[in-house]
Amino acid sequence: MVHQLPSWAGLAPALALAATALVLLLVDSVDPDTTNTSLLGGVSVVGSLASLAFAVWFIFGGTGIPTSEGGVGTPVLFNGQLVVDQMALFFMIIVASVTALVTLASTDYVENHAYQAEFYALVLLAATGMSVLSAANSLATAFVALELVSLPSYALVAFLKKNRGSVEAGLKYFLIGAVSSAVFAYGISLVYAATGVLRFDGVATAIESGTVQTVVDGTVQAQAGSPAVPMSVLGVGIMMVIGGVAFKIAAVPFQFWAPEAYEGAPAPISAFLSSASKAAGFVLAFRTFAVAFPIESLVSSGEALNWFVVFQVLAIATMFVGNFAAATQEKVKRMMAYSSVGHAGYILIGLAALSATGDGMALSMSAGMAHLLVYGFMNTGAFLFIALAEYWGVGRRFEDYNGLGRQAPLACAAMTVFLFSLAGLPIGGGFFSKFYLFSATLDVGAWSLAAALVINSALSLFYYSRVVKAMWIEEPTGDRSIESYPTGLYTAIVSAAVVTVLLIPGFDYVSSLAFRAVELL
Amino acid sequence: MIPAELYLLLSAALFCIGLFGILTRRNALVFLMSVELMLNAANINFVAFSLQHGNLTGQVFALFGMALAAAEVAIGIGIILVLYRNFSDVDVTKATTMRW
Repeated sequence: MVHQLPSWAGLAPALALAATALVLLLVDSVDPDTTNTSLLGGVSVVGSLASLAFAVWFIFGGTGIPTSEGGVGTPVLFNGQLVVDQMALFFMIIVASVTALVTLASTDYVENHAYQAEFYALVLLAATGMSVLSAANSLATAFVALELVSLPSYALVAFLKKNRGSVEAGLKYFLIGAVSSAVFAYGISLVYAATGVLRFDGVATAIESGTVQTVVDGTVQAQAGSPAVPMSVLGVGIMMVIGGVAFKIAAVPFQFWAPEAYEGAPAPISAFLSSASKAAGFVLAFRTFAVAFPIESLVSSGEALNWFVVFQVLAIATMFVGNFAAATQEKVKRMMAYSSVGHAGYILIGLAALSATGDGMALSMSAGMAHLLVYGFMNTGAFLFIALAEYWGVGRRFEDYNGLGRQAPLACAAMTVFLFSLAGLPIGGGFFSKFYLFSATLDVGAWSLAAALVINSALSLFYYSRVVKAMWIEEPTGDRSIESYPTGLYTAIVSAAVVTVLLIPGFDYVSSLAFRAVELL
Repeated sequence: MIPAELYLLLSAALFCIGLFGILTRRNALVFLMSVELMLNAANINFVAFSLQHGNLTGQVFALFGMALAAAEVAIGIGIILVLYRNFSDVDVTKATTMRW
């Protein structure tokens, strides 16, 4: 029974991931030279599945739903620094599922590498950060959790340290990441300077009342003398927070690292970063802007801080940059990297399709969340297929995939499902999540967003089809022999494909879950 | 008490010096130092406004900020080390095997 557990147990999904990382480091310190991939990979997969099980159990056990509505209440930890509500659990499910798929696939991918224990431990530490970020309810915990996501990710991208591409990718990711986290920290400091608090509800109270707040014994109250909030400082702070978030989700104008990092990184890490890390960035954005910076009070303050206009520009620019750049690529992995930038643009509709009074937020934000869940499976699957191709030593260009469908029909069928679902054909959950985003834009009459979504989806069908055409229609060019069919990679790809397809009948359920989660914020 | 605006000016100046360093320097180590300047600009704001607001939230965040900056440098030095081994240089413009 959930309601008999202490409130810290609400963090069990994150704690399970952290404990798994520590177990891996323990194994590594007992036997530093171990390359026992089934032990290390097995522990990681079990740990992430345990985290998934906790999150699923809590979300169905009514955690985050008020007791008056038949739930068991929302665990609030550390004086409101962390809250485990339905939205947090929704994103913990995404993070844990992607981590399970990626660690399962990695058992084959890093089979012959040294430092495997470190590899899995870093993946799980980053996943812990993402899980905590889902529950962060203060700019302080959000910053610490964001760094816990970023720092292992830099190391993971540069993991192949004798491979120049991997090192270069790690360097670029690190440099841009370091700058953007400095910008984010400076933005937080300005928000603190303006409002006197870091907790999201406190910031919201300060904006609504127009007076600087302070936290005494866990409750937010007006500061003595009630000085006014300097809106100009707050506005600059909000813009810089948007900058920090835009880096994490790979949105324009901070998208430059994404193609390099995803192309150079080991393919399972590309899958991890482009699905789970993006979801973590979005949960930060959703919670910050829905809770801490309430649009209706910002607009009514008359200071023109309507951030949804910024997100509209970012969403449209990100969609066009991502999709047009993807259409011109010669390498499959780089095409997928740009497609991931384009999808960040689609999901930004969740923060962009609002009216100035905040109407339509529940619909558009839940559409963004539902798309992130579907995307978590289809995009991870597509990158894991690329990992499989790298495992076989198939080249990186579109032509190198020619005729692959005859040698590996099962994996190629799964890849076809992923790609068409990413494009938005009704072969996977991607069709419904895009349709839901589309209806969210129409609901508030955001015609420019709706048009950008349709144009870019149509364009994306072109470049996704190039891969499908290469796999099934073209004749194989060189002589290529596939000797082994790695179990771990295959299991991960097929499970991702099955879930993608199952999300067609299950989408209604996912979207109502997401809608409820946003309503309860 | 020194007015709060002066602290904001100081931190903004420090932030801009850091940003200028990032945009103009090619040495990865100088790049790291510039990022440190930007992070410390944020810390100045936190400490100054902690005094201004009369609560400790900002000072605690400044401690977090310093710890995270140290962790970031630790990872950064590691990446710069492998950069040097692969490209025999710490010039950030030399690593160009991928083009967009």
